[in-house]
Amino acid sequence: MNKTTPRRAYLAALIGIALLAAAIPLVVRAQQTDRAKRLGGKLMCMCGCGQVLTQCNHINCPMSGPEMKELDARIGSGDSDDLIMQAFVQEYGEAVLASPPAKGFNALAWYLPGIAFAIGLGIVTLAIRQWRSRQVLRAATPPAPISDEMLERARRLADRETDDL
Amino acid sequence: MDLFGSFALLLAFLCAIYAIVAGILAIRTRKPLLMKSARQAGMAVCVLVWIGFASLIYLFFTDSYWMAYVVEHSNRALPTFFKVAAVWSGQQGSLLFWSFILSIYVFSVLFVYRGKHPELMPYVGVVLASIQLFFLTLNNFIVSPFQVLASPGANGAPQMAVMPDGNGLNPLLQYKEMVAHPPMLYSGYTGFAIPFAFALAALLGRYPGEKWIHLTRRWTMIAWGFQSIGVLMGAHWAYAVLGWGGYWGWDPVENASLMPWLTGTAFLHSVMMQEKRGMMKVWNVWLVFLTFWLTIFGTTITRTGLVSSVHAFAQSNIGPWFFGFLGVIFVVCLVAYLKNRDYLHSENQLDSMISRESSFLFNNLILLVACVAVLSGTMFPVLSEWVRGTKISVGPPFFNAVNIPIALLLLFLTGVGPLLAWRKTSTESLKRNFGWPLLGGVVVTIVAIALGLREFYVSVCLLLSVFVVLTIGSEFYRGARVIAARTGANLLSAAGQLTMRNTRRYGGYVVHFGIVLVFIGICGQAFNRDKQMDMAPGASMQLGPYTLVCQTFDSTPYPNADAPNYTAERATIEVDRDGKQEMMLYPERRLYASNQESGTMVAIYSTLKEDVYVVYAGRSPDSGQPVIHAYLNPLVKWIWLGGVFVILGTVLALLPNSQPVLVMRGATQPATTGAQPAVASTKGYDRRE
Repeated sequence: MNKTTPRRAYLAALIGIALLAAAIPLVVRAQQTDRAKRLGGKLMCMCGCGQVLTQCNHINCPMSGPEMKELDARIGSGDSDDLIMQAFVQEYGEAVLASPPAKGFNALAWYLPGIAFAIGLGIVTLAIRQWRSRQVLRAATPPAPISDEMLERARRLADRETDDL
Repeated sequence: MDLFGSFALLLAFLCAIYAIVAGILAIRTRKPLLMKSARQAGMAVCVLVWIGFASLIYLFFTDSYWMAYVVEHSNRALPTFFKVAAVWSGQQGSLLFWSFILSIYVFSVLFVYRGKHPELMPYVGVVLASIQLFFLTLNNFIVSPFQVLASPGANGAPQMAVMPDGNGLNPLLQYKEMVAHPPMLYSGYTGFAIPFAFALAALLGRYPGEKWIHLTRRWTMIAWGFQSIGVLMGAHWAYAVLGWGGYWGWDPVENASLMPWLTGTAFLHSVMMQEKRGMMKVWNVWLVFLTFWLTIFGTTITRTGLVSSVHAFAQSNIGPWFFGFLGVIFVVCLVAYLKNRDYLHSENQLDSMISRESSFLFNNLILLVACVAVLSGTMFPVLSEWVRGTKISVGPPFFNAVNIPIALLLLFLTGVGPLLAWRKTSTESLKRNFGWPLLGGVVVTIVAIALGLREFYVSVCLLLSVFVVLTIGSEFYRGARVIAARTGANLLSAAGQLTMRNTRRYGGYVVHFGIVLVFIGICGQAFNRDKQMDMAPGASMQLGPYTLVCQTFDSTPYPNADAPNYTAERATIEVDRDGKQEMMLYPERRLYASNQESGTMVAIYSTLKEDVYVVYAGRSPDSGQPVIHAYLNPLVKWIWLGGVFVILGTVLALLPNSQPVLVMRGATQPATTGAQPAVASTKGYDRRE
């Protein structure tokens, strides 16, 4: 066995460790950026522009820069997502959240479309039932002799329904 | 000219009052002369509004800096092109612009139906004149654009003042699209006044049958088409000017334009139920009431400062007037409905759950739920502040979470609805019509997933998009094949003939195709990437397959031919791909001389696959170098392309059929041909006007 082999192996290991050490901050920074983007997407810029923090690009915006810096700092200090959001709410109020939390009165915002859908579905179901019951009622009634007027009406109806819309 | 315009508007106001009074008397007395007088007064209102609006344009073009409104929104160096946009850039001018566009519609309606429908038109005239009266009240007495500047004279009495120059136009509005966007959107908003007036008139006058729907179908489509263009142009403006990399931020103004579009779309579908089967009469009337109400509501929330918006350029204290008008509209509609609801009985019933009727019902339900979701999200911050006293935000994460599933359901119905038969669809027909398109959608989605697609909603959207496109394609193919077999024409020519034979149906399919393209474009958002860095000349940035190289960074001198009213800092960015130069981009930051406001000009390299979107975000405070924020936005062009198809389809649907639609007629005599039980129509049967 060649004597230089362990040396080379040590060297390779050292270089590997050095590269890994160098790579770790890069990886962490990349993760931070993604996380900052994700969390920034859940926060509003508080300058009054009404835009999400990561989207506010107003020139000389007095708020978005400091907010982003604060976000980066909190991520850097290892705070959890919940803790960061809470800190922002404490500092800027609930309006800093880009969507209302689904609890308390704010939950209503989330439920309203569902309630509307349920009510709408109820109305549609009711309408269908009414239409169908009328159909059953008509079927149960003995047929009356067909008058010319009825015939004409039926023709008009057939015209309309076979018109290729 | 200011006196002339002001006097014209005052006269228009008086004529509108006369048109209403004469119209009501005409309805009561049925005197033809009174009807004619009311109609002519209504037309006079329109002409006078045009004169008033033309006067305001003239004042802008002649740099009349004794007019407060002109001083506020224009300046001498402003290019003529933007002086047009400046006319409607503030509250006073934009409300006069409302009156102006509305008067074009009103004049057209009164002119086209002059001497026709004597039972209906007096009501229509009164309703339209009442709407005009509201806006003319604002134009004349609340927010008049014809106010002159005054300063105290030597004896303390006010005298007219003239300013040397104006304050200039808001930089965000100095963009070519902004000249076209408001007219399109206003044409949509005001256009819905026409179906509203006909619906209310038919209800008040208990006008028989579905005539009002036939009469207003084209007007509704025109309004809807303009609304669609307006919404899309607004999105494009936000994309190209605001510089945040997106086109739809669920801003209150954007939402305000979307809501009537949603209900208008529902109405365009549900009227077919009434036309074909005499069903949903109550629903249609209320849907058109709601659509018009939402156009006024949208204007209210953005102009009264009730909700804040980056798009709101005109706000003043006109809230009570608008809220009052909204209340009046609601009360009038409710009273008219309660008094005449027996007139709205449905003629038919639903025969099957699997039918065109039920698909329209669900289409309407989904569109209305989408509208409620947008409305509740837009208004919830106000509600929260009222109830809890706490300000909250409802931003894109909320709207996306709520609306994406709704939109996908709608996309599904876009594919399903047109292929279901009226009354009842058999299982065989379902299999025949949907089997292959569904299979196609599933196969494409599986391939996409195998290639790495992981986003759930994007996968569902892809499946549904392919499904809808294939169902539309199969509809064209089936029809074209029959024509090709009969005439010997090739399939493409046969498809053209097919479209022109029933423009409404196939125009509708083209609109649906456009909507699918818009959906695909929106899906691209899931794959957006962006990067920001300080870029000294020579520095480069890698963004996806593109290399962005900062070539130069300079300032344009002021003034010059290209930049008559601003100075600009500009970066020159070379876009390379695979070592080859693809494009040079010039993102700018402009500083306007008149008002010292600044604005960004985004540079976009757009292809069908993706947009390279470059923003010059200013100079870095640390390095002093230009900060370049670059985005790679896939498929954005599909959205604008989809918009083109939507407009194309709308125009197609507005065209008259080239040949009568084949219909079955009741045989009045025994059929002589034996095999044919009924005779195909020999005259134009497109009864819809």
